Amino acid sequence: MAALVLVALIWLGSNQLANFDSALIGYAVGIVALTYAVVMRYARWLRMPSTGRYWRRGWQLTTSWSSFRTLPGLLPRAIAGQLLLQGFIRRRGWVRWIGHQCLFWGVIGATLITFPLVFGWLAFKLEPGTQEMYRMWVFGFPTITFDSTSFLGWSLFHALNYTAVLVIIGCAIFLWRRFRDRAAIAGQRFGYDMVPLLMLIVISVTGLLLTVSASLFHGSYYDFLVVIHMAAVVLSLVFIPFGKFFHVVQRPASVGIQMYAELNGREGRRPCAKCGEPLAPDLFVQDLQSTLQDLGQDYRLDGASMPAGHLTELCPRCKRVARAEGYFAHDGSSFAR
Amino acid sequence: MSLERSIFVDPSRCIGCGACVAACRECDSHRGKSMMNLDFLNRGESTLALPTVCMHCTDPVAPCAQVCPVDAILVSDDGVVHSPDPSRCIGCQNCVHGCPWGVPKFDVEEQLAHKCNLCYDRTSVGLGPMCATVCPSDALYYGTADEVLASRPNRKVVDVFSFGAQELQSGNWVVVPDEFSVLTFPMVGP
Repeated sequence: MAALVLVALIWLGSNQLANFDSALIGYAVGIVALTYAVVMRYARWLRMPSTGRYWRRGWQLTTSWSSFRTLPGLLPRAIAGQLLLQGFIRRRGWVRWIGHQCLFWGVIGATLITFPLVFGWLAFKLEPGTQEMYRMWVFGFPTITFDSTSFLGWSLFHALNYTAVLVIIGCAIFLWRRFRDRAAIAGQRFGYDMVPLLMLIVISVTGLLLTVSASLFHGSYYDFLVVIHMAAVVLSLVFIPFGKFFHVVQRPASVGIQMYAELNGREGRRPCAKCGEPLAPDLFVQDLQSTLQDLGQDYRLDGASMPAGHLTELCPRCKRVARAEGYFAHDGSSFAR
Repeated sequence: MSLERSIFVDPSRCIGCGACVAACRECDSHRGKSMMNLDFLNRGESTLALPTVCMHCTDPVAPCAQVCPVDAILVSDDGVVHSPDPSRCIGCQNCVHGCPWGVPKFDVEEQLAHKCNLCYDRTSVGLGPMCATVCPSDALYYGTADEVLASRPNRKVVDVFSFGAQELQSGNWVVVPDEFSVLTFPMVGP
């Protein structure tokens, strides 16, 4: 359904294919296939008990009347913090943050340029009677004109080169980390952690080489580079639902989690049933209990021996301490009494 | 999925020295952060202490991973339940509160959950995990059940536990007195 909607939008947005560049058909097919695969994967992901519950609860809280007043401030703050500025990565390390910001803005920029171009939503056409003046068309409507030999013109036609440089810087930082940082080396997997970086580098380098070929070498190897570039892009697109790239699709959920936590936490946290320290919002504990039940796991406790009715009503420390108390109370031979 | 060698936790041997906590911090896979939990029961009057490592649950497999909404916790083929993938973890804390053992920790600043990964950088190449390697009293021991039983008379090792109505099998083991049956939560002895 989503793929069909996209095809319909391509038809409409490209002025019934009048602005569609047939040389980019490979990318268009790749993106339509990607849409299908991502929506399928997303639907499967939402079927997981915890994900589905957060999804439903997130929308419920977001659209509730009681959230209405706080939402206009909360939502932009969550989007800016979680998705755009990514302060949580900065707190994991400045170098990681710089690398991720380069990758993030490079990929976002490239996507915002490439997808509309491929779909024919964005087109550049030579103005009649001129040699260098171009007009930008958006969704079939004429917009600004510019001189293609000016800096603005060069930048518009080569904007993908800027994004490619950002991506290469980001990938270089993360590759350096993957070869030097012992924490990263310890748990990394080639297919999951290295291949995405290598694919992004191949895309960016071949993209830059297209400009080099056209500008400096009269188009030498241009056709070959076009094929390699397109193959790398389409392969990466198809790879998105199955590997590390899927975190791009998953990450916006952190906005929902922040809203869930803040909206839910306004009424305070319920106390741990054993020590009385603040534990978590009541709704969170109830949702977690429901999730565990959906998973077929039953952590209800015998109320006679414990103050809690369910294991999740205890804080992590009290879970450990209760276990220790039970152990030592029955360790008849222990020196420890 | 099963661990070839495992950690054996013997609470009766723990002297609360904290070496495991300090050594855990030195592990390459989570440098500077200790994944160990060491709890004292009644510090003013007793030396009783309980070290807690991830038990790498096998059945049900890793409840922490199952309640994670973004599949951030990988369970590798060798049965090790890994720390949440930083690129995926969205900071919901489901794993922190869903773990029956109380193992995962949450870093509010980084919005990232952490947990013991059996010092995967070491154990995957045949070395012992940091905590068991430095434990002076073998309250944490890395090896096989035969090795433990041979050196500790009147003790047995268990990997099946009851948490309320839920029975759970783990990859790591607890050393208990012979008369103990399935350990229930809180443990109620024979």
